[in-house]
Formats: sequence, C-alpha cells, structure tokens
Amino acid sequence: MSHGSIIKVPFGPQHPALKEPENFLLEVDGETVVDVKPRLGYNHRGMEKAFELKTYIQNIYLAERICGICSDAHTTCYTQAIEELLGVEPPPRARYIRVIIAELERIQSHTLWVGLAAHEIGFSTLFMYVWRDRETVLDMFEMISGNRIHYAMNTIGGVRRDIRGDIVSKIVKGLDFLEQRLEYYLDTVQTEQTILKRAAGVGILRPKDAVSLCAVGPTLRASGIRNDVRSDDPYVAYDEIPFNVVAHDGCDVLSRMLVRCEETLESIKIIRYALDSMPDGIIVVKVPKKIPRGEVVSRVEAPRGELIHYAKSNGTAKPERYKVRSPTLANIPALCKMLRGGYVADIPIVLAGIDPCFSCMDRMAFVDIRKNEKWVWTMQQLRRKYTKG
Amino acid sequence: MEKENEIVEKLKDFLKESLLDTAIPRRRRIFVYIKREALGKAIEYLMKELKFTHLSTITGVDLGENIEVIYHLSREGAIMLSAKLAVSKKTPNVSTITGLIPGAVLYEREVHDLFGVDFRGHPDLSPLMLPEKWPEGVYPLRKEYQLKHLREVTSEK
Repeated sequence: MSHGSIIKVPFGPQHPALKEPENFLLEVDGETVVDVKPRLGYNHRGMEKAFELKTYIQNIYLAERICGICSDAHTTCYTQAIEELLGVEPPPRARYIRVIIAELERIQSHTLWVGLAAHEIGFSTLFMYVWRDRETVLDMFEMISGNRIHYAMNTIGGVRRDIRGDIVSKIVKGLDFLEQRLEYYLDTVQTEQTILKRAAGVGILRPKDAVSLCAVGPTLRASGIRNDVRSDDPYVAYDEIPFNVVAHDGCDVLSRMLVRCEETLESIKIIRYALDSMPDGIIVVKVPKKIPRGEVVSRVEAPRGELIHYAKSNGTAKPERYKVRSPTLANIPALCKMLRGGYVADIPIVLAGIDPCFSCMDRMAFVDIRKNEKWVWTMQQLRRKYTKG
Repeated sequence: MEKENEIVEKLKDFLKESLLDTAIPRRRRIFVYIKREALGKAIEYLMKELKFTHLSTITGVDLGENIEVIYHLSREGAIMLSAKLAVSKKTPNVSTITGLIPGAVLYEREVHDLFGVDFRGHPDLSPLMLPEKWPEGVYPLRKEYQLKHLREVTSEK
C-alpha cells in the first residue's frame, strides 16, 4: 500500500545481513522497495592493475586470491587462458583432477550458501547442520592439497598434486556421507514450512528479465534457462563426462535453493565418474616462461555462474592486460530487479539468493595503503611482530 | 567451425565496410573489429538476427593513443563473439548499448570509472568502483597511471 512518501535508506556498506561490505541505496515506500541503486567498490584491491605488474607464474597465486570461496574457478580460468595463448594442452589426468577439484569446490560453495540462506531466514538449525557437514569437503581439500581453502592445485600446464591411492577411497567414503545428507536437505527445502513461507514467491526474476539483464549461473537457471558453461562451452574434461544441467522455473528464492541443492548432488555424481575413469599418466607438462603475443577469452562455470577472463599478452613475461568478470557482478542488475517491488523484510534473503561474493566483484583499481602513515607496515615488520609472540 | 564461419559471413554482408577485421582463433571463439559508429547497428543485428543475447562483460584495453572497448557476447551460452572498437584518448566516447542490452549498465560504468570512456546516453555514469573523492581525470587502468602515481592519489589528504 502506498503511503505517498518515498524514503531513502542506505543498506550497507556495514550491515548485519551483509557478509562483506557493499552499499545499496534503497528507496522505500512504506514496507515496499521502490528502487535500488548499487554502489560497489568497498573491496577494491587493484588486482587487474597488479596482474600487469607480475609475471605469469606469480599471477597464478594472484588469481587464486581473487576469491576465497571459488579460488579454484579463478585459477582454472587463468591457467587455461595462458595455456591457450601458449598452445599447450594439459595432460588428460590433469584435466580430470581439475574437474574433481572444481566439483568439490561447487559442493563446498553451495553448502556454504544453503547454510547462509537458512541463517538469513532465521532457520539456525539448518545453518548449523549444513555447515557441520560442509566440513567433510573441507577435510577432503586438506587431505588432497594441505589447505582447506586456496588449494593451489592449478599451475600453467597441469596440476600440482595427484589424487591417488588412499585419498581416492577416502573421497568416495566422504561423498557417500554427503550424498545422504544432501538428499535430506533437498527434502527439507521442499517440505519445511519455515523455508517455504520465506522463499516461495519471493525475489521474482522472470526469464525475460534474466536474459535481458544478463544473469548467470544458478540465478539464471532458477528462472528456467538451462545455460551452463560446463555443457555449452566445455572446458577441462567436461565434454567427456555425462551430467545433467539443473534448472527450475519457479523464478524465486526457493527455486534458487533447489537448483543449488540438486547441483550439489549432480557434482557428487561427476566426481565419482571422474575418479573411476581418470586416465593414468603425468599431471603436468613443462611450459616456457615467456608467453607469445595474442589474446584469449576464457570461461568457467564457477559455483556462482559464468566466470570470464580476458587476457592479452605482448610477448614478455608479464601480461599486457588481464580482465576478470566474476559472476556476482553479472547478477547485480538482476538482483536490483528482484528487490524492486518486494518487502524490506525480504531484502536479506533475496540478496543472499544470488550468493553474492563481493571481494570477487571488486577486484580491480589500485593497491590501497592505509592513509595514516604509521599504520603502513612492511611485510618484514609484520612477520617480526607476529613471530615474536 | 561451420557455424562460426557462417556468423562471420553474415556479419560481413550486413556491416560491409564498417567491419574492419575478423578472426576465428578456435571453436566457439570469434573476434571482430568494427567502426565506432557502427556499434549500435552491429549489436542490434547480433542480438536479433544471430541470437547473441547474452553480454558477458565489456573490457577496456589501453592501446597507447587509443582505448579499445571489447564487448564479449555469447550465443545460446556457447559461441563467444568479442566485438572490438577503438576510441581515441582525446575524445573517448561511444554510444551506450544499455537501450539494447539493459545488462550492460554496470559494465559500462566500470569501463567509465577505470578508463574514462564516456558512454553517451547512459542513464547514470556516477562512480561505481572508485571512491567518491577520487580526483577527476585519473583513470587507474590506463597505462600512464603507474602504481606510484596511484599511491600518491590515495595517500593525499
């Protein structure tokens, strides 16, 4: 109901419903959101400029740090871009290992999201259950790579660690447990009133708008559009592995939940298949340090959707230009559309619905130093400070 | 590569001399170079006739004298067509495509922030990525701004 006066409410950069800093200027009429203006950039770290100043090898580690949750998606995208510039194919076994890591990452990211979504609607029990079970995947990562996040598996020309022996059987065991748990959560999402009341019919994004606003990933697929880079523009070993692209046509937050839950189950099947049919052989080939002139567009289906990198090389050991567009940025116009006409109380869950990752989105611009000089510490000083105690 | 060749041929027939160069480096990848004036016409044709409905992003590249603006479009999620054009640093402007593809709204603002390209007719080119107090005329991703200049900018005040 219109109250005749529109009030502007800033939402963020610091807000309990936001896990990272970002600002949305809301125009509200009573309880209804009339307009949303996004203001990004609170997580700028100057990565695109930094890419131009570092060598191709150093940039693998930089790409890994664009995002903490989908770090592997960024390095896969980066390494395959550079491999294409070089004209080098990673060995078959390496391509399968990349699939396994990518899908484990998808499980990790989607379960993180289900927990957060449950948290946003006050369903803390589900939040804690899901995050407990998510530990299974993090333990697998630790077992494979030594790290729970930033697994550092990819390198130009292949992968850095093999998956064999004991590790395989442990992964299979972990997957069996996860599958059973995820089936239970999928059932919970479909039947539990706490979720249905808050998620069904909320944050509507019609297919027509999803296309014209260029939405990607689960956000797009929950509006009934079956686009997935893994099947449309296959990379690594996805053209050799059978899998279904999950889509739902509810166009609401509930559909986004269902898409992510079902995708996680699909990921488990992909990993099982990849572990079974992984060819033997080497996992990395040697590549030259200097990259020939050229340009390349590289794409990956990250957990949040289409991730695209553009690389331009000038024949030296450093790139001329490196561009990253993360899926969250692509979904912001669609998010604004979802929020318009909705209730203020639904903002946190609708916002969480696109699974935003702001540090991914804000990667470019310049390296920031704290303004107050005495707070600028060198790496050495920091190291000294933290090793003393 | 049949589909890719067919797309390029159709584009050649439609754009004629406005299409400066084309390349198909591999399956599902097309690069085309177009004249700045032909942008709206080209995007409309690509969208309506050739089904390139998804805009993945817009990239800016500093070429020295000019800035290259690249529109990465995809067709049914698969074939990526990167349409490039060059604008001079003296008059860095090009018409907006937000009327055709509303999803371009943030990508154009991003290139405006970081390269100083003016997208004529864009509804709102206020800063998206850079702070409010960022000095006018400093475009961090242009090559003339090296890290030390940018550090000076941020450590002022």
